[in-house]
Amino acid sequence: MKRTIYIFSDGELRRKQNTIYFEGEKGRKYIPVENITEIMVFGEITINKRILEFLSQNEIILHFFNHYGYYTGSFYPREHLNSGYMILKQAEHYLDNEKRLLLARLFVWGAIENIKKVLNYYINRGVELNEIKENIKNLQETIGDCKNVEELMALEGNARDYYYKGFDLILNNPDFVFESRTRRPPLNRLNALISFGNSLLYTVILSEIYKTHLDPRIGFLHTTNFRRFSLNLDIAEIFKPIIVDRLIFTLINKGMIKKTHFEKHLNGIVLNEKGRLLFVEEMDKRLKATIKHQKLRRNVSYRHLIKLELYKLEKHLMDETCYQPFIARW
Amino acid sequence: MFVIMVYDVEVKRVNKVLKTARKYLYWVQNSVLEGDISPAKLEKLKSELKHIINEEKDSIVFYTFRTTRYSSREIMGIRKGGENAII
Repeated sequence: MKRTIYIFSDGELRRKQNTIYFEGEKGRKYIPVENITEIMVFGEITINKRILEFLSQNEIILHFFNHYGYYTGSFYPREHLNSGYMILKQAEHYLDNEKRLLLARLFVWGAIENIKKVLNYYINRGVELNEIKENIKNLQETIGDCKNVEELMALEGNARDYYYKGFDLILNNPDFVFESRTRRPPLNRLNALISFGNSLLYTVILSEIYKTHLDPRIGFLHTTNFRRFSLNLDIAEIFKPIIVDRLIFTLINKGMIKKTHFEKHLNGIVLNEKGRLLFVEEMDKRLKATIKHQKLRRNVSYRHLIKLELYKLEKHLMDETCYQPFIARW
Repeated sequence: MFVIMVYDVEVKRVNKVLKTARKYLYWVQNSVLEGDISPAKLEKLKSELKHIINEEKDSIVFYTFRTTRYSSREIMGIRKGGENAII
């Protein structure tokens, strides 16, 4: 399996001896090009055109995050899997209201289904979440009544509001209270974790989209507008509960992440470098963790699961098999 | 799969071998590299090396593991290099 490299230190990234070379204040290191799919940059690095060209040749994506861990952007190399056919199909499904709504509904349905799985896990452990689950279930049943994508987005938002209320019950930790969902900037620690986790997931999915024929600019639930990418946001809805949220619960319940891992920045609260390092490390582990795939009857990693999801979407767009979102079984 | 590559080649070719191997594996210490690699990439690496070495004089050894689960790794003294996903 090709890996992801995370750069936290400051230094220079360049091409040397036909491979990637990083030189920072903490030392120098060669990174094997043939074994890398993406590089996530958190530190301040210097790059030149030569390395970008080289990365492009080797189909490696560079994701940048700013000083506070917010996503800045990606160096998305020229598409290597070009397919006019796929783009047309994707656009067709976007422009045809019926078709777009069907996909959007499936994304929301899948997302809620996975949220319910997470809740179930804690219900079985005696946390009082039944009421929240009931509310979410009721919302889920009205997915069919939504006449446009905006209504679906609102419905999904409402479901998530209920779901986030359950966070306090699940965590039961005075250091991590939820209160309400706040972004840009997140106002408390839990929100900071959610925001950071989600933005990491978005970039991971973007990297996976790059390996398929899909165009990340055309999403279905999220309106395609002048923002760069939206398809990754759609797919992320399905995986957020099972990857990011579960990871956050583990980190907090096991006491791995602490108050000291956060810092105040302007009005908001963000993870500090140590916190980010820990989170990224655990996220990487989680993405590499494998589960038994029901249909394939073999073990696949979470990262691969995302790619399989994209393949299913491709099949759907080509009118081969109807897309069915991945639903966790445990 | 996981691979440990150990090489002993003449000085003239040491750099070339190292340079090639570094594209695929992580440098651990002098003449030793290791890393997770797909079987196809390993073949690619081998064929690249084949063009460099003199098969009469040089030697390269590959130890491959399907999984590292039944092995352990211990370092005495300083850690010179190796795999590290977080820099």
